[in-house]
Amino acid sequence: MSEVDTFMFNVFIFSMILNTAISLYGIFARPTLIKKIIALTIFSDTANVLAIAVGYRAWPTVERSPIPPVLTTSEPTASDLTSFLQTAVDPLPQALVLTAIVIGLAVTLFLVFLTLQVYRLYRTTDVRKISRLRG
Amino acid sequence: MVYLLSVGLLVPSLIGLAFVLPLIGIFVRNVKFFHAYASLASLYALATAAYNFHIVLSEGVKAYPFGGWWPPIGISYEIDEVNALIALLTTSVMFLITLYSAWYIKDLKSAPYYYTLLLGLEVGMLGCIYTGDAFNLFVMLEVMSISAYALVGFHRSKPEAVEAAIKYGLFGAVATTLYFIGLVFVYGSFGTLNMADLVNKVTFGISSASGTYYGQIHAATAVALALSLWAFTFKSAVFPNHFWLPDAHPEAPTPVSAALSGLVVNVGVYAIFRFLYTIFSPYSIVSELRDVMLLALLILGLASGFVGAFMMAVQDDIKRLLAYSTVSHIGLVLVGLSIGISIAAHPNTPAYVNGLSGALYHLINHSLGKSLLFLASGVVIFMAGNTRRLDEIGGVARRNPLLGFTIIVGVLQLLGVPPFGGFFSKYLLYSSYVEAGMPYVSVMINAISAISILGYVRLLYAALFKTPRTREVPKVNLTPLTVLLALAILCIATGVLSGSITEWLRWIVGRTASEQGIFNYWFYGYYLFWGR
Repeated sequence: MSEVDTFMFNVFIFSMILNTAISLYGIFARPTLIKKIIALTIFSDTANVLAIAVGYRAWPTVERSPIPPVLTTSEPTASDLTSFLQTAVDPLPQALVLTAIVIGLAVTLFLVFLTLQVYRLYRTTDVRKISRLRG
Repeated sequence: MVYLLSVGLLVPSLIGLAFVLPLIGIFVRNVKFFHAYASLASLYALATAAYNFHIVLSEGVKAYPFGGWWPPIGISYEIDEVNALIALLTTSVMFLITLYSAWYIKDLKSAPYYYTLLLGLEVGMLGCIYTGDAFNLFVMLEVMSISAYALVGFHRSKPEAVEAAIKYGLFGAVATTLYFIGLVFVYGSFGTLNMADLVNKVTFGISSASGTYYGQIHAATAVALALSLWAFTFKSAVFPNHFWLPDAHPEAPTPVSAALSGLVVNVGVYAIFRFLYTIFSPYSIVSELRDVMLLALLILGLASGFVGAFMMAVQDDIKRLLAYSTVSHIGLVLVGLSIGISIAAHPNTPAYVNGLSGALYHLINHSLGKSLLFLASGVVIFMAGNTRRLDEIGGVARRNPLLGFTIIVGVLQLLGVPPFGGFFSKYLLYSSYVEAGMPYVSVMINAISAISILGYVRLLYAALFKTPRTREVPKVNLTPLTVLLALAILCIATGVLSGSITEWLRWIVGRTASEQGIFNYWFYGYYLFWGR
């Protein structure tokens, strides 16, 4: 890896850690339910980016970029397969992230609905007031 | 045959049966139909799980690869003796809970949605239990959790229920996301998420169809295990992650409280078992990490045992009292599960086998006893005129001898009084730690039981021994009482047959948590498909 690559990689790792910390702070410390939910989506997106990063592949050669994991010839020769193996990106993390995004959508939608219901019942989304009301 | 169809059939077909219900609800306007439909669906689940259990006992470990994609590539479900047993327990208690729901849910408007969520919860639990794929465990954990959040907030015009649901949902989503990050670490270092393939690499060190492992696997495994165990202990409500349970479980509709307290918490315990005794087993290359994890689990288990037992004594809400008792009992199960610490017991020593079979036995006893008590408390609350406060219940169970009998059976079961199963499982846990040379843990198990007497006596006094204020109580029809009686008979059976059950559980533990068991899990889940 060149120095620029190393620097960019470190920036990426640092931003992942920072994102996780900020979003966890948001979930646990912010009083408003909507802000908690926004922080939750940031947290799950951080996890998703981390998963995508696991499938990262450095550029095999300077002039050839990584390719999608699809064989474009119908009758591949041995050299086709070799170059495919050297350049194709791992597709599994992307499949995992797709699944996780869909699940995250369902959870977020459910939590937003519950927040609406909390607002209808308590006329506030501030968790401190909600637990005070309960007594 | 290499695979068993009924393993893969159960979960997808039950999902179909569950999610077609709201559609049926548009056309069918008879509430009896939904009761019958849900009961038949869960009877079908029970029959299939029993069949799977029978096949596994007679023929050994079975797997099913979905869509014909063989193990490391596609999702596969794999059952050995332990998860077949837990699935049988889950489906049989769920069947009784569904029958009971017919009495509890009376209006047509909510019935289809209620049963959709209840069957969804059952599907999620069965998926978590049957799955042989760590990522599918995440998906099924979410299926189970979303159903559980929605069921907790089912009475959506009740402020407390909505508040408990959002508390549970928000932190539950964080927990499952942490498990997902753990999976990212597992995938990054081992290149696979299939459990049998993980065993392949971690224990046998064979490079497989998905390559070998990469990078510093010890560091990656430590992070992955810490994150996933955090998620599992959250799902099974172990101290300090128990804070949501005493809010969420009492606010749910009563049959759902029974399912959440009796069965959903088992899933986390089962996942811990699968991770620490099959995948990252004592024979694996990362076995030295297990000691730290198991020691942490032992301490957390004892702590939640004490916290649950103490908090039980100060509750004035009957369902909240039972919820804290769940925290205490799951703590005890975890204590049994952490017997694998190498300073305590090496594999195949009597202490090891006793501890694990004690944990399994206690899991079964707790599921039966706790769902019995929650369902009985539903009847008590109904008879006392919809109050959950212990001092307002006023001995209504006296007006119904059968109800009183089942409450006594449930309390004695959870308390651990000799003729009942709870005693024998606590005794197994006790003796395993004595044999392992850690008698202070045994003493603490006894202390937890002793402290929890306070809470149970308050429950018995309020429901049964107090003089009722009124002679007039509403009549309860036969359905809930039959369910209660069935559960009470099961509770008595776990105690009366304790000798043979103990022997049988020892046999199961010997077949799953041993070197042979891990070999079988790998052989039938991976090697049989690729090795030939």
